[in-house]
Amino acid sequence: MNAFTIALDSIWSHRLRSALTALGIVIGVFAVVTLISLGSGVRSYVSGQFKVFGATLITVSPATPGQGKPGHPRFGPGSQNVPSSLTLGDAQAISRLHSNTIARVAPVAVIPAPMGTAPGATSGLSVIGTSAAYFPAEQLKFTGGRFNGSGVVLGSKAAVALFGHQRHLEGRTVYLGKTALTVSGVLKASTGITSSANNMAFVPVTMGLHVVGLQNISEILVQASSDQSVNQAVSAVTGVMNHRHPIRNFSVTKDTAFLTTINKTLSTITTFLSGLAAISLLVGGIGIMNIMLVTVTERFREIGIRKALGARDGDILVQFLAESVLLSLLGGAIGVGLSAIASHVIGKVAGFPAGLTVGSVGLAIGFSLGVGIVFGVLPALRASRLMPAEALRTE
Amino acid sequence: MLNKVEHADVIDAKGLIRQHGQGNAAIKAINGVDLTIKAGEMVALMGPSGSGKSTLMQILGLLDRPSQGEYFLAGKNVSRLKKGEAASLRGRRIGFVFQGIHLLARLSAIRNVELPMVYARFSSTERRQRAEASLARVGLSALAGRRPNQLSGGQAQRIAIARAVAPGPELLLADEPTGALDRASGRDVLALFQELNQELGLTIVIVTHDPLVGQHAQRIVELEDGRIIADRPVLDRIVAHGTPEVGV
Ligand SMILES: Nc1ncnc2c1ncn2[C@@H]1O[C@H](COP(=O)(O)OP(=O)(O)OP(=O)(O)O)[C@@H](O)[C@H]1O
Ligand SMILES: [Mg+2]
Repeated sequence: MNAFTIALDSIWSHRLRSALTALGIVIGVFAVVTLISLGSGVRSYVSGQFKVFGATLITVSPATPGQGKPGHPRFGPGSQNVPSSLTLGDAQAISRLHSNTIARVAPVAVIPAPMGTAPGATSGLSVIGTSAAYFPAEQLKFTGGRFNGSGVVLGSKAAVALFGHQRHLEGRTVYLGKTALTVSGVLKASTGITSSANNMAFVPVTMGLHVVGLQNISEILVQASSDQSVNQAVSAVTGVMNHRHPIRNFSVTKDTAFLTTINKTLSTITTFLSGLAAISLLVGGIGIMNIMLVTVTERFREIGIRKALGARDGDILVQFLAESVLLSLLGGAIGVGLSAIASHVIGKVAGFPAGLTVGSVGLAIGFSLGVGIVFGVLPALRASRLMPAEALRTE
Repeated sequence: MLNKVEHADVIDAKGLIRQHGQGNAAIKAINGVDLTIKAGEMVALMGPSGSGKSTLMQILGLLDRPSQGEYFLAGKNVSRLKKGEAASLRGRRIGFVFQGIHLLARLSAIRNVELPMVYARFSSTERRQRAEASLARVGLSALAGRRPNQLSGGQAQRIAIARAVAPGPELLLADEPTGALDRASGRDVLALFQELNQELGLTIVIVTHDPLVGQHAQRIVELEDGRIIADRPVLDRIVAHGTPEVGV
């Protein structure tokens, strides 16, 4: 029968009061832990997506001279508000470098023509003109066929949109505007940041540009041969491009730069929200202190009896402190449990892995322990300092 | 169970004053009390309401400190003890019985009886043994597992007495122990006091304003306005016979 069993007993026999007292801590811990796990879930998801590409991709995009800040390449080829100045010649020049820092080069051109199963029919698909190097660079896989330099490759949803299914479509005919083309391959469905490819159709770039009568391409995708050679590849590419575009109407971007920015933003948001959540934890702590103070007054007689029976100030102090610490830890545990469920559900719905981290659970336990001690000390001190005669007098 | 020193004074108090408040507003609940009580005596402390009985008992029981005066408990000067020392003396050497039910509602009878020994840091086996022996002495072994709300007033008061004597104190202080009980239960409690006094040589001080209760003691000390106005032996002492019935 030590301080903790006494405390447990007291918490259990005042279940409703205990539950209400712990509620503040439950909410506070729930908020802190959930925000931290969602934050870190999003962060690891985003960096995981970039890991797929080994952070080796470099994008050359058109830019207004001197401005040099294009829209991000991963969210759609090219920047809409800058008239493109890039040509196939640029892509070929980069290819001709034969640098061992560069693994692949693929031109990317948005082809503004409708694709359908009849001449001139529209289907709302985006059509991209590119080369075979595009697919391995973007980690896109085929369910059947390949990009053969004359036929059309369809994304998984694009295939369904055109033919109602994805199987054995090689050799079928589709129309780009009025030009008839043969399907040469179908892509596997992809998830994450390359999922836009599912709705796209890919044609050989020269043919695509010819159909719509354009010269310029939207961007050039360059894949460095390794993570380590990205910076060298960037300077090699920039060198060629500077030579070909002395007015510098282009920009060269690494995916990693974008990743860093996203990470920074996410951690700022997470910190800010966690701060807000911590305030609710503080409020919960004050709630505990209030109720414990009331409890002390209610329990004058019990304190008096215990003291008459030989309890020292320290015994009473430990008893009341144990009660508030246990209450906070209990609240913290419930908060963590709820947060585990919530992060799991939110993660499932939003499609990224959000689990509890050891750090956030540790933080929650530390936090609730601290709240219990800090806000329990005052009531416990008040209880323990009571003179026994005084305590017994209150009936 | 008891280290009794024959004929030594268990209580020896000189010039005790207990003052509440300061200056003009000061109330002297106890105003110059000299009192000696020998080991093995059974004393009734009587007097009208507000005369200072409870205050004196709390000082004698180390629940309160005198504003002035000297108090020797079993030869040791305890007038200005530190709180911790007072607590440990209370736990081991003094037992309390109060008016009304002062059992902890959430503990079973036997755990209530064990409580002072928890604070006195007895080993758990000794605690259990002493608690069981003490419950047997008050004739309520069968009720060991009951909660206070499952006990009658008389049973609860006898459990409280078992709790007070379990650690083996030399002094038992009772403030209106029969005040909340009916006549029959009151008699049982008084019989139990007399038995403890005779068989264990326990020194007992009972605060009461019931003359009938006073007649069960060997000696009556009368208080008025915080002073002792009479101190006399009981000539026609009532001895409550027989063991109290065991209510289950
Ligand atoms: N904390 C206090 N502050 C002020 N006055 C007090 C305090 N405690 C006791 N008193 C006063 O001291 C006097 C003695 O009180 P005490 O409780 O000792 O009387 P009592 O003889 O036990 O009375 P009763 O028979 O009604 O229990 C009373 O006048 C009471 O009002
Ligand atoms: Mg009184």
